[in-house]
Amino acid sequence: MKTLMLAMALAYAIPAMGQEVVELKLPQSSKVVVKLMFRNGSICDPKGMEGLTYLTASLVAEGGTADMTFSQIQEAIYPMAANYGVSVDKEVCVFTFEVHRDWLTKFYPILRGLILTPSFADQDFQRIKVNQQTYVDQLIRASSDEEYSKMALEDLLFRGTNYQHMKQGTSPGVKAITLDDIRKHYASFFTHSNLMIGVAGGYDDAFLKMLMEDMANLPGTNPVVPKPGAARTPSGIEVEIVAKNDAFGSAIFAGVPLNLTRAGNDFPALMVANSYLGEHRKSYSKLYQEIRENRSMNYGDYSYIEWYENGGGNMLPQPGVPRSSNYFSIWIRPVQIAAQLRKQYPELADVKVGHAHFALRMALHELGVLVSQGMTEEQFQATRTFLQSYVKLYVQTPSDRLGYLMDSRVYGRKDYINDLGARLAALTREDVNRAIKKYWSPERMFVTIVTNTSEVEPLAKSLRENQPSPMSYSKVVKSGLAAEVREKDAVVEKLSLKVTSVNIVNSKDTFR
Amino acid sequence: MKIICLFAAAGVLMGVSRAMGADRILPYPIHTHRLANGLNVVTVPFDSPGLAAFYIVVRTGSRNEVEKGVTGFAHFFEHMMFRGTDAYPTEKYTEVLKSTGASANANTSNDRTMYHMTGNADKLDVMFALESDRFMNLHYALHDFKTEAGAVKGEYTKNYASPYQKLYEMTANRAFDVHPYKHTTMGFFDDIVDMPNQYEYSRTFFQRFYRPEYSTIVVVGDVTSEKVNGLAQKYFGSWKPGSYAADIPAEPQQKETRFVHLQTGDVPPLLALHYKGPAFKDSEPDMPALDVMSTILFSSSSPLFKKLVVEERKARFIGGGAMDSRDPNLFSIQASLIKKEDMQYVKDEIVKAIEDLKASGVGEQLLANTKSNLKYSFAMRIDNPDAVANTLCHYVALTGDPETVNRVYALYDRITTGDLKKIAATYFTPSGLTIATISADAEGGVR
Repeated sequence: MKTLMLAMALAYAIPAMGQEVVELKLPQSSKVVVKLMFRNGSICDPKGMEGLTYLTASLVAEGGTADMTFSQIQEAIYPMAANYGVSVDKEVCVFTFEVHRDWLTKFYPILRGLILTPSFADQDFQRIKVNQQTYVDQLIRASSDEEYSKMALEDLLFRGTNYQHMKQGTSPGVKAITLDDIRKHYASFFTHSNLMIGVAGGYDDAFLKMLMEDMANLPGTNPVVPKPGAARTPSGIEVEIVAKNDAFGSAIFAGVPLNLTRAGNDFPALMVANSYLGEHRKSYSKLYQEIRENRSMNYGDYSYIEWYENGGGNMLPQPGVPRSSNYFSIWIRPVQIAAQLRKQYPELADVKVGHAHFALRMALHELGVLVSQGMTEEQFQATRTFLQSYVKLYVQTPSDRLGYLMDSRVYGRKDYINDLGARLAALTREDVNRAIKKYWSPERMFVTIVTNTSEVEPLAKSLRENQPSPMSYSKVVKSGLAAEVREKDAVVEKLSLKVTSVNIVNSKDTFR
Repeated sequence: MKIICLFAAAGVLMGVSRAMGADRILPYPIHTHRLANGLNVVTVPFDSPGLAAFYIVVRTGSRNEVEKGVTGFAHFFEHMMFRGTDAYPTEKYTEVLKSTGASANANTSNDRTMYHMTGNADKLDVMFALESDRFMNLHYALHDFKTEAGAVKGEYTKNYASPYQKLYEMTANRAFDVHPYKHTTMGFFDDIVDMPNQYEYSRTFFQRFYRPEYSTIVVVGDVTSEKVNGLAQKYFGSWKPGSYAADIPAEPQQKETRFVHLQTGDVPPLLALHYKGPAFKDSEPDMPALDVMSTILFSSSSPLFKKLVVEERKARFIGGGAMDSRDPNLFSIQASLIKKEDMQYVKDEIVKAIEDLKASGVGEQLLANTKSNLKYSFAMRIDNPDAVANTLCHYVALTGDPETVNRVYALYDRITTGDLKKIAATYFTPSGLTIATISADAEGGVR
């Protein structure tokens, strides 16, 4: 049996905090949402068992109880259409249960059973473990190059720390986990002192009282949660290229440590700057306008000042992923590779490198311009006005409202979304421009590029030698380019990047 | 277990009728109003202080792409709708849209293109002004048109990283001979590469389909129907109707099982059975019966799931259902397997479950529980204006009428075990089947 504790030198105990409860009463709501947040995540995975927290939480959510098997539960909740599941992140696990209030009384014993007396049946363990193993062995590499490049970036940024591995773990890590490890991990980390209870919707006081009393039966011990690993600082532009045989384009993510979270006073200021530079899935931002709209290079380009869960699927940021180790990142969605350009356009028959190098230069150029020039008063006002309304859309459902309230507590705030109104209103352009200079620089960045094997060497050479990377437009687009686009291209294609390393990794060797 | 189910089911029927009314699943009144030009306007007031969801659904999608060389055009056109007008060139459009603080976007599917903005209810006037201008006066430059085609290619490039997406594209191409469902909404790749050369066709496309008779406005939230109807009249009242109707070829009857296979060991083996299903209608029991059937056969409480996923662990997951479509489309069943050697066994087990249902139907209790599941799933889903608007647009796209939502759920209530047997026998036949597989082998190897 391997030890469940990480190096103790890094560890500190979460102080006993009594029962933390977040309430959101909505008497008119026909449903009840319960969220149980345990303040331990994948950073608690022991060395050699990366993925243990994820597997433990999944087995609780997708297994049985002392009284009912998984299949019996499924049968019982079938007419209720109740749903529940768990989300696991680096620092927290959140179980979410949603049920129509007509069924609350009948559903509740199942909720209680899952959390207090999970069965940890071998049959469920085998089933769930296979899915997790498949994800870390195959699916992350094969189903979305964008998500792959994002995970590869975290692997690079946090290398050597407990933040490095995916929450689903590593191939050998998942393989090593036994059912006994899971039982012990659950008892050690999913404890009463580590729990925040959230409840929203059409429940009454008696229900909350019962929930609190029942959850008090969890072990009372204080888990020893290791200190979250900090992101490494790159020496310049440090690139890792992941080679895939059948990649159709080049998927790019770039990131650098950011010493600021929602807990910090500068966060709204940097939020305004980030929205201007690269608001998620919005055509208002500079990155989108320059790379996609003006140059036709890909589907979209965005930037982030905190973790964004499933950016490919979500239009709005999800709650339940609070983090204290933060980084700033730029997402450049897949751009064309040389092999495809040559195939599609006769006029590009001689192209040696696809669009990745130019796209990276363009993103860093825009960041550099923002850092050196800041935002104008007009840009500041327009972006702040947008955000003052937009952030309210983060909390359209009872579940999201509750989730954001609970996250607020993790960051030491009462109601993050609500408070943002006043905090944004109090900002000045100078605050924003000061924050940009304080937190951002285009000089240092980790970059991961998932691309086709045929693109790897030419791209690596181009990056290493700081070669010019003129945009290879097709004839039909090139003929109509505006003068300002051509002029900017001439600058960007020669933008000097301080590339300090270009490392090439075969896809099958990532996340080892 | 039986006792729990019986007890639960008795509670359900009472609960649903109490909570949701016997004949109307949507617990809010739907206000509809048709302008003289044919534009349909739907309003659903919802208790969401200060918030409104503003949707426009255009009943054109890849289904309308009947001409050669222009597949993917409905989707491409959705992109072009963000490329400006004389009154609001792209930059100004973006600036004004940003000032509303809304979450705005669009998407395209087989049967419709949908534009949506969710945000401040008091900005509704601005939203109407922006939308009416581009729907009536879209005017983009030739260069912008050519440039936007690159973004579509970028979208295809990101999607194509997934083997499942590749198989989906291959499956549609194999399962259909002449109907436009043969191509995906993205279109054939060669047509995507050629898009920059189709400027003239894009103007034709706009003239044909971006017309009031193809469109419905749906507004849900902190609004009144008087206000929405007034804004619709003010901003869309002068929109001129058109007269075009695409001649969509009917798909001939499939005669035998078809096969399609993608060879890759990069993802777990996949088995998919695609049966030709019916077109969606809110007056016939076929599609509602298939929805009930797929819930019974493939939910995580089903015997098939219990056997293949939980007990024998031959499959990682199994799921299935019919796609609501205006023309007959596929009923798809998918199973992700642990070992490729189990492909035939899993196929046989799925077919056996279907054959059992054809022969014996299902018990009354299970049927009642399933109807309860469908109704409570719906009730749980519609907890915000955006979700309600999305749901209504789904049905508007199919029939043009938002009341379809209430009709479909009333049909669910009337489905009998006899309906299930009859409809299963109609659609689950080997001659209507396309088998799609992924494995490391050169062939799927499933009979």
